[in-house]
Amino acid sequence: MKTKVLIFLLFAITASVFASYVFSSQGQNDPWTPQQLLAPADLAKVLNNPKAPQPIVFCIGMDAVIKGSINVGPAMKAENLNTLKQKLTKLPKDSQIVVYCGCCPFSRCPNIRPAMKLLQDMQFTNYKLLDLPQNVKVDWIDKGYPMSE
Amino acid sequence: MRILILAVAVLLVGSNLATLSAQLRGFEIGNKPPEIKLPTTRGDTVALSSLKGKLVLIDFWATWCAPCVNEQTELAKLYQKYKQSAYTNGKGFEIYGVSLDAKKSNWEDFLVTNKINWIQVSDLKFWRSPVAKTYNIQGLPFNILIDGNGIILAKNIHGIDLEKEIIRFLIKK
Repeated sequence: MKTKVLIFLLFAITASVFASYVFSSQGQNDPWTPQQLLAPADLAKVLNNPKAPQPIVFCIGMDAVIKGSINVGPAMKAENLNTLKQKLTKLPKDSQIVVYCGCCPFSRCPNIRPAMKLLQDMQFTNYKLLDLPQNVKVDWIDKGYPMSE
Repeated sequence: MRILILAVAVLLVGSNLATLSAQLRGFEIGNKPPEIKLPTTRGDTVALSSLKGKLVLIDFWATWCAPCVNEQTELAKLYQKYKQSAYTNGKGFEIYGVSLDAKKSNWEDFLVTNKINWIQVSDLKFWRSPVAKTYNIQGLPFNILIDGNGIILAKNIHGIDLEKEIIRFLIKK
C-alpha cells in the first residue's frame, strides 16, 4: 500500500511539473527575465489612460488585436524580424517598448523569442514582453481589455 | 499521514490542470453545439447544420499552430479511411475544419500544398473570431465530434483516442 501511495505521489508531482512547464511564462533559456514580463492588466490600465505615458507596442505575431499596437508580423520570419529591426533603429535605446504575440502558450510560441533576442542584442534598456502565457484570447480579449478596430 | 500525502497530491494536480479543464467546460457530451456558418476559401458559405446525417469532426485549427498542423496528416488518414462508412447515428464521416488564421494566403497555401480535401471554413479573424468566443475555445487544437443528429459525442480527442471514438460508432459490415 505504501508503494502505491508513493507511486501516486510521484505521478502527481510529475504531472504538476509538466503542467507548470506548459503554462509557465519563463523557461530556462528564454531571452527575458521575470521582471521583463508585463501583466496584461497593467498594460490595459495604461492604454485606458490617455494621460499616462504610452509605450510603443509591437505585435510580433499574427494579428495586432491590442489597441494602438503596430503590426510587424510573425517574428519567426526573417523579413518580419527585419521590419522590427528597421522600426527599432529609429527609436532611442531607452524607449518604453512592449512586444506581444499571443498565438499559443509561451512554451511553443515561435515569435516571442526572436523578437526579445533582437531587443536584447540591440541593447534596448526598457522593453517588456506582454505576459500572455496561454494566448491573446484568454489573457487579453476575454478579459475585455482594449482592442484595435 | 497517508491521507495528507493524498491530499497534497490531489491539490498539486488539481491546481495546475485547472487551465486545461477550463477548455473542457461549456459544451457537454449529449448537447448540441451552436451553428457555425463561415466561408470557404472560394467565398461560399458552408453551414455546420448542412452536414446533418453524418458523423462530423469539428476541427478548430490554424496554420500558425504547430500541433494543429501536425495533426492534419493524421486527419487526412482518418478521413480517407472512414468517410464512406456507416455509423450508429450517421452515414459517412466528414471533417468541418474551422481555421483561426488571420491571413487568407497562409490558410489557402496550406490547404493546396497539403491537398486537404475536406470542408474548410474561416472568417480569418484569428483569436477575434466570434466562433472562438461562442465555443469558448481556450487553445488550439480543439475539436468536437458530433453524430448525425448534431449531438456531441466527444470533445478534444486526438491521436489514437480520436480513431477509437470513431470506431466506437462504426457499424461493422
